[in-house]
Amino acid sequence: MREKTYQAERRRLTVARLRQKLQKFELIPAVGDAVFSGFDAIDACLPPHHGLLRGAMHEICAAKTGDFASAVGFGAHLGARFADGKAVLSGQTRQCVSEHGQPYALALPTVGLDRHQLIHIDGADLTDLLWAAEEALSCPAVGCVVLMSLERAPDFTASRRLSMACRASNRPLVLVLGAEAGQASTAATTRWQISAAPHNGWQVYLQRLRGSFAQTPPTAGWQVFPWREQLPLSDGEAASENVQLHTTTAYGN
Amino acid sequence: MPHTPREPVFPAPDNVPVANSVPTGRRIAALWFPYWLSEIVMPVDKRMNPYVLAEHQRGTQRLAAVNTAAEACGLHTGMSLADARALVPDMHVDMLDPARGGVFLDKCARWLRRYTPWVGADTHPDSHGLLLDISGCAHLFGGERQMIDDMCARFMRRGITLNIAVADTIGSAWALAHYGPSDTIVAPSGHGPEAVMDLPPDALRLPDDAVDLCRRLGLDTVAALAAFPRSSLTRRFGPYPVMRLEQALGQASEMLNPCVPAPSFIIRQTLAQGVTQIAAIATLAEKMCDALAAKLFAAGKGAVRLDLVLTRADNEAQALSVRLAAPSAEAGHMARLLTTRLERVARGFDAGCGVENLCLAASSTADIQPPQAPLTLGHRALKAPPVAALAGLFDRLAGRLGPQIVVRPVIHASHIPEQAVGYRPVHAAAPDEQIPDTPLSPQTRPLFMLCAPEPIEVIAEIPEGAPYRFRWRRVLHEVTTAQGPERISPEWWPAARQHNSLTRDYFQVEDRNGCRFWIYRDGLYGRETGRPRWFMHGVFP
Repeated sequence: MREKTYQAERRRLTVARLRQKLQKFELIPAVGDAVFSGFDAIDACLPPHHGLLRGAMHEICAAKTGDFASAVGFGAHLGARFADGKAVLSGQTRQCVSEHGQPYALALPTVGLDRHQLIHIDGADLTDLLWAAEEALSCPAVGCVVLMSLERAPDFTASRRLSMACRASNRPLVLVLGAEAGQASTAATTRWQISAAPHNGWQVYLQRLRGSFAQTPPTAGWQVFPWREQLPLSDGEAASENVQLHTTTAYGN
Repeated sequence: MPHTPREPVFPAPDNVPVANSVPTGRRIAALWFPYWLSEIVMPVDKRMNPYVLAEHQRGTQRLAAVNTAAEACGLHTGMSLADARALVPDMHVDMLDPARGGVFLDKCARWLRRYTPWVGADTHPDSHGLLLDISGCAHLFGGERQMIDDMCARFMRRGITLNIAVADTIGSAWALAHYGPSDTIVAPSGHGPEAVMDLPPDALRLPDDAVDLCRRLGLDTVAALAAFPRSSLTRRFGPYPVMRLEQALGQASEMLNPCVPAPSFIIRQTLAQGVTQIAAIATLAEKMCDALAAKLFAAGKGAVRLDLVLTRADNEAQALSVRLAAPSAEAGHMARLLTTRLERVARGFDAGCGVENLCLAASSTADIQPPQAPLTLGHRALKAPPVAALAGLFDRLAGRLGPQIVVRPVIHASHIPEQAVGYRPVHAAAPDEQIPDTPLSPQTRPLFMLCAPEPIEVIAEIPEGAPYRFRWRRVLHEVTTAQGPERISPEWWPAARQHNSLTRDYFQVEDRNGCRFWIYRDGLYGRETGRPRWFMHGVFP
């Protein structure tokens, strides 16, 4: 009996020690190294008290061809929360510029950015953009890097290198990909899929999260309305019950 | 300008009363450009025609400068432009740029350092001239006469009239250049005060009232003035004109203040044998950056633009230039930028028989404000200041991607959506901060604005209704929600109104998928156009 208790106690200690060891390899951030998305329903599913890691790469994909602007909107919204007033380097591939044009400076406040924060790379190769991102990640004045690529996603090696650069410098990289870029394997910490939702909202799926969820995300994703008090809806629905950057969850939960 | 054969007759040096003059052994060349302002702006081929520069003076336009041809027609400085036009109807008139004369004279002074290292500006307010201390330099050009002949020939080729005189003192050289009997005068060494005795008192660089007084007293030569005892002259004229008189006669000393040349930040390196590899050139450039940075740091300057000129053995030169967002004297940073730039040209680089000569210059510099030392040496003190860090990032990005690609947004004062916002390279001057951000409520402008509005096919109510459905890039969109119109009129104030500027009615529309677009109808139905066209202008997030 005593022998059994001793064995059980030993096993418990071993497991505790191994857990402690494992924790070193897991991505458990210090306080202030993670940022909440600003949408309550999404934040409830993220690891408790952690939110989204600052020193990591986050990938945002458009679900369909027409959803790229919404994906960029969500990415810029995350970027603004990550940057926290510091400079934001944004970059577009050449095809992205010719298809969608440039970000419009007067609309930047709608996603929480100030135009004085923005440094923009106006059309370059994806390789050059990734190089610029790596340079910017090592610059102390830069708060966040947001890259937009419509046609091509970086391969696994490149994304691995960039996420290590993010981790080393504790600065985030938000990579916004078009629907045509395809689902390449990626080293990103999170991967989101965004599509436009009716009534001025976004349909958000969290496809991948390194680590564990605090609670299981709804299979249908979340529907978020960042500007709910704007654009009164035509079907007479009352639009005043929600304030800016708050969320309603239409499905799941 | 042809040399006049007549030469003033100077007394032999042994006749000069040396008792009251101070022999210095200095030789001064005074240069005077009588038609400076007009000649530096006048095209050389129009030299034969009357050409004047006018300026506004007390409500009228007066001549500020004339050229020789205009002077021959009877025009002179200070004449009103209307009178001048009446005299010479076909003359060419330009407005005077007051700063230009001084700037060009500075340039000229720098160039004249090829003759002597000691070039000073003429301090007389009304004359455009320069003073050269040519003591001990003239023999390098074969003598004083040959030296000033060379100067005259070079200025004449540029179309600039020049009077020049060489004498022992600044005062006498100036006097002979301005009032001497010929255009080029070389007074023999040790000439003494006799050289200027026959000249009018104006030659003494006196103030206007003193010249007037001389004239009223009937003193029409320097000799007449010099004959008076100094004490009575001082009583009547004051000490300054007497000092000028003594300086011209060589009895009082005068210093020549040289124009201090701007320090040049140039590093040259000549190699014994040509190098053909870009990597080797980059290594050399790095070493040169160290030297340049030390030079810049010592002067308290930072480079804003770097130029690297690679000269091949067959004398073909290739120049690379790098711009910096903020002045920097950091060798590592400059070297990194140059290396990036060299890597970019590596593909098309033709070293030929090898690069033999490298020249690295900081062709544009600015003062560096050293960061204030922090009071406490906490962890904050170790961080680089964010402005400097950003400037370094700009340089690296622009170095690889090209200066036009790395941009920042700027706002222009316009309510035409595509003109209200622009992008400016980070290296361009700081954006105008006076224009406040237009207080637009959020979600009235799309996050993405197309490079150019794209025509779309729309089914909409006539005349001013919202669209029901539209086709953009071959996809049909059914409109579920539409908000608008927001009417934007063309600007009426531009002088040349564009022919296609019509009133636009903007609508925010949402299709069945929830995608939101910003589309407009170009022109008011029935009033501006019979069949208004529709355009897609942007996409909301």
